[in-house]
Amino acid sequence: MNVPAYNFAYLNEQTKRMIRRAILKAIAVPGYQAPFASREMPMPYGWGTGGVQVTASVLTPEDTLKVIDQGADDTTNAVSIRKFFVRTAGVATTGKTEEASVIQTRHRIPETPLTEDQILVFQVPIPEPLRFLEPRETETRTMHALEEYGVMHVKLYEDIAQYGEIATTYAYPARVAERYVFDPSPIPKFDNPKLDDCPALQLFGAGREKRIYAVPPYTSVRSLDFEDHPFEVQRWDQPCALCGTRESFLDEIVMDDRGTRMFVCSDTDFCARNRGER
Amino acid sequence: MTERGFADAPVQSAHAFRAIMQAMARPGRVQAIDADVKAPAPLLPSAAAVALTLCDFQTPVWLSPRLRDERIVHYLRFHAGAPLVAEPQAAQFVFATAADLPPRLGLLAQGTHEYPDRSATLVIQVAGFVPGSVELSGPGIRGGERFGVVGLDEAFWTAMAENHARFPVGIDAIFAAPGKLAAVPRSTAIRMLESA
Ligand SMILES: [Zn+2]
Repeated sequence: MNVPAYNFAYLNEQTKRMIRRAILKAIAVPGYQAPFASREMPMPYGWGTGGVQVTASVLTPEDTLKVIDQGADDTTNAVSIRKFFVRTAGVATTGKTEEASVIQTRHRIPETPLTEDQILVFQVPIPEPLRFLEPRETETRTMHALEEYGVMHVKLYEDIAQYGEIATTYAYPARVAERYVFDPSPIPKFDNPKLDDCPALQLFGAGREKRIYAVPPYTSVRSLDFEDHPFEVQRWDQPCALCGTRESFLDEIVMDDRGTRMFVCSDTDFCARNRGER
Repeated sequence: MTERGFADAPVQSAHAFRAIMQAMARPGRVQAIDADVKAPAPLLPSAAAVALTLCDFQTPVWLSPRLRDERIVHYLRFHAGAPLVAEPQAAQFVFATAADLPPRLGLLAQGTHEYPDRSATLVIQVAGFVPGSVELSGPGIRGGERFGVVGLDEAFWTAMAENHARFPVGIDAIFAAPGKLAAVPRSTAIRMLESA
């Protein structure tokens, strides 16, 4: 028998216990950023070390893992994280959203609706939605404790005054279970409605800032807005140039060296399925 | 001699954690836990699996009188390295049976409004689950979930309702039965049903 080079899923048991305790607290207090002692991972920060540590702590050998980056399964980042877990946990992998039991993601939520049997793990660069308004950690903790979120509304309202609409299009803040305002990670606000009342458990890991937070299944997630400026998602004038759907988030891509542009699904698995290519 | 804990800790703890996490994420929904772990009676294998998955030298543990057996104490020290504390309010994990719960849940570590995670987890050994003494609602629950635990009466559920009223501080409860477990975190609202 070969002696494995790593513990199952890379992290040692003591580290996993600590992360697992933080995950349970994060679930029990939806939207609250539970601190954890982030570990060095064999990949640079910015490569989703927080998400990787959460995934490593929830994986079982029977899981089927999908990893996406900006909606695609084949970017360098997604491929290297997938290979990391194949090597260290021996899990099966898939590109098909509906086949995955655990999905680690950076910057998107799959278009295919998630189910109760799935866990979605987000890679988070900056977990604190109030950070740009108040850099001091002690102050933001107090603001969360006292539900002092007025400053957040003021910032969004200044957008409206200046641009006629809320200019924030990514990492759009939302309120979880009518209590904590949270940063859903740099997903497009197009994805915010998918966070709400989702059958899947959603976990968020920030490695550099050492925070874990969660949205349990069937939990209300309300994007911040105003009565006279209700929350709206991005819309496109045209359907996906490849599959024709009008239901998905589109990326503008350059097609040839003459600069021809077109709009296509950012979720490559969803697009391939619509085209009958899988 | 001490009963062995997990034979294959990385894989067994991963399985146990999945069950615990799903229980916490879906309050009142009973999860199967394949606790292939030997534990000294009266510690249930499912409760032992929770201890081995979550407890270590960083987590003070309190044992209720019925669980404060020398072999259980030795087992938890040997396999988890967890320090045992004399007062339940000093514990991060409180292990009890339905028959000898700590007298007042509000005295257990509640966390602070800045750090609500600094709170106790209450693990209660129970005989099993019954439908319908309370209706649970809140995060993790679609609509309402009818739930009941053998041996836990209205006084307990009243205390858990008061616990919920203190959200975001408060404790989270895990109910460990033979081969099964369920949980009610502080986020869960509790309504007593008439028939209870
Ligand atoms: Zn498409």
